[in-house]
Amino acid sequence: MEQFLYYLKVSLKSIRRAPLPYSLTILILSLGLGVFFANATFYYRLNLDPLPHKSDKLFFPFMNLVPYDCQNCEPPNVLSYSNVQKLGATDIPSAKAAMYSADGYLRLTPQQPPMPVKIRLTQPDFFRMFEVPFLHGSVWPDASARAEVILSRQTAEKLFGDTNVVGRSLTLDDFEYTVSAVLADWAMLPRLFDANNNNHLSEVEDIYLPLETGYDRNYLSNSQSSSFQDADYRKLATDGRTKAIHQLQFWVQLDTVEQQQAYRQFMANLTADEKKAGRHPSAINNKLVGMRDIVVHFNKDGGDIKAFALVTLLFLLVCLFNASHLSLNRYLSNQYEISLRRALGASRWHIQQQALADVLLMASITSVAALLIGYSGISLMNELLPANRLFSSWDWTLLLSLLAVTLGCSYLVTLYPSLRASFGALNQQLKE
Amino acid sequence: MIQINNLSKSFRTELIETQALKNIQLHVTEGEFVALTGPSGSGKSTLLNVLGTLESFDGGDYLLDGQSVKGLSDKALSALRNEKIGFIFQGFNLIKDYSLFDNIELPLRYRGFAAAERKRRVEHALEQVGLAARRDYHPSQLSGGQQQRVAIARAIAGQPRILLADEPTGNLDSLMARQVMELLEQINRDGCTILMVTHDPDQARRAGRQVQIVDGQLSDAAMYDPLQHASPVAVA
Ligand SMILES: Nc1ncnc2c1ncn2[C@@H]1O[C@H](COP(=O)(O)OP(=O)(O)OP(=O)(O)O)[C@@H](O)[C@H]1O
Ligand SMILES: [Mg+2]
Repeated sequence: MEQFLYYLKVSLKSIRRAPLPYSLTILILSLGLGVFFANATFYYRLNLDPLPHKSDKLFFPFMNLVPYDCQNCEPPNVLSYSNVQKLGATDIPSAKAAMYSADGYLRLTPQQPPMPVKIRLTQPDFFRMFEVPFLHGSVWPDASARAEVILSRQTAEKLFGDTNVVGRSLTLDDFEYTVSAVLADWAMLPRLFDANNNNHLSEVEDIYLPLETGYDRNYLSNSQSSSFQDADYRKLATDGRTKAIHQLQFWVQLDTVEQQQAYRQFMANLTADEKKAGRHPSAINNKLVGMRDIVVHFNKDGGDIKAFALVTLLFLLVCLFNASHLSLNRYLSNQYEISLRRALGASRWHIQQQALADVLLMASITSVAALLIGYSGISLMNELLPANRLFSSWDWTLLLSLLAVTLGCSYLVTLYPSLRASFGALNQQLKE
Repeated sequence: MIQINNLSKSFRTELIETQALKNIQLHVTEGEFVALTGPSGSGKSTLLNVLGTLESFDGGDYLLDGQSVKGLSDKALSALRNEKIGFIFQGFNLIKDYSLFDNIELPLRYRGFAAAERKRRVEHALEQVGLAARRDYHPSQLSGGQQQRVAIARAIAGQPRILLADEPTGNLDSLMARQVMELLEQINRDGCTILMVTHDPDQARRAGRQVQIVDGQLSDAAMYDPLQHASPVAVA
């Protein structure tokens, strides 16, 4: 320890001799790392698995069951009500839930000014499948229509100033509902069950309504809906249930490979039967997409973020190269002292220990500067791309990884120069 | 203590090859004070550097305390430089922004001494060279002779058995040179073997033995067989 402090003191002395090149090295390294940090943060957050123990068991079934012949097309991103009924008419999945989102206005009494809310219209299994935690009350007993809502904790607090409000009533778009449950804090990020149109980057909804009630009361999807032929999207309660109005997401939980195979077979049989009955004019194109692949499924290219990551990485490499160059110059101008130390009995290993202290010092300063630059970069990106705001926080895993990267880079920058200096001639520099 | 057999060393650059040392044969016994003389460029510094293991050699053999230096690991060589050998360079080679204390302490740092032991040794060495009151000065605040004495203090603080001095008085006026010389003689009397390069014939005469190098070779008069002398002190 005492020896390490000595090494630190020696490092500080040599920095004081030439503070400018050293600051420049730190600056360049911090810049490269800061930009890398900012980008790595988003990359890490966006690719985080929100349900690591379960995401490989959740699937979204797609099929081309539409009333016209689309030539070689991909199946639509959302399903019709009747599609969902057909896909759900089996006991193979351990859980299944259809869902969509809509906008609404919420208030306590019809006299109050309304507050805009995001609504998720879904079925009971939704809460089980995505492990939504409950604070008070419980989920609806079945998927039938009922005038009962489930509130997020924030919504309950905003509306009632309290969370224990099970049994109280409220007004949503001029209809009265009873509160059947209040959720605990829940932020599934990214919200992979809702990945069309990059919706998975936004926050969870404020209020949950039974899907059947949503159809009865004519809530149209606020993200993606399309109707075919004579279907009238204003008549969800009737046309919505029978005709080709596509707006539903549908998730099934298939725990084992056998279940998954069985469900695939079920889909194959289903589409074959539909084709036989003349209701499947397009070519059969069934897909069972796992939750981990859903973002890629919806954003076929997804190239932007990869290209950006590559540019960031290249920038870091350029910064590393420049910093190494500066560091080499610093070590060469210190060659005299290093040779003197070697001549007086310091071994190469001693010199490497000295370099290690150098690395630690550099890494500490650089990590602070790089975190500052990274933080500024993230703030800037949040301004420019508010949708990414939720994905810009640091956790310990990320911070420790970033610090490890800084340490690694500081080591890379110092390794070659210090090795080279410790292999320099011992006497040459000592002559006048 | 020092045995050199048939040692040769050449420097190669792109253009020329300089044979700096040719077939050097030299034996030094413990406690001797040897003066190394010779014209400029004759190879005195090179020989001293080889003896101090600051420089490798091509042919022949160098035994220190009966052990061949050839093939020693970097770690063993560093320890040898650190513990057995004190080196006084042709320039002072003090680190300018370190205090005298820190300069003298430097080699002790690599030896693993505890802080108290280092302090004791540094202060003792400073006392020996008469600079105890200036331990916190920086080299630039001292005269040339004082700086050379600091360099000597650094070389002797580890209590080496051999002191290699390359023109320790070369940069000094005659008064200071005499003081430094007296200091070295004192150190020698305390039992340290000294090899000193010098241009000054008076100083050379004061050493126990003179060895002359001309053109990379020991001149015949300098050939020396310690077996013929019962004690090096007798030569003085
Ligand atoms: N690093 C080197 N590369 C090439 N040649 C060298 C090197 N060091 C010394 N020489 C050559 O080796 C020869 C001996 O040099 P050395 O420094 O030992 O001389 P010296 O006797 O100490 O001279 P001086 O009295 O001037 O200090 C010289 O010809 C010198 O040019
Ligand atoms: Mg010389």
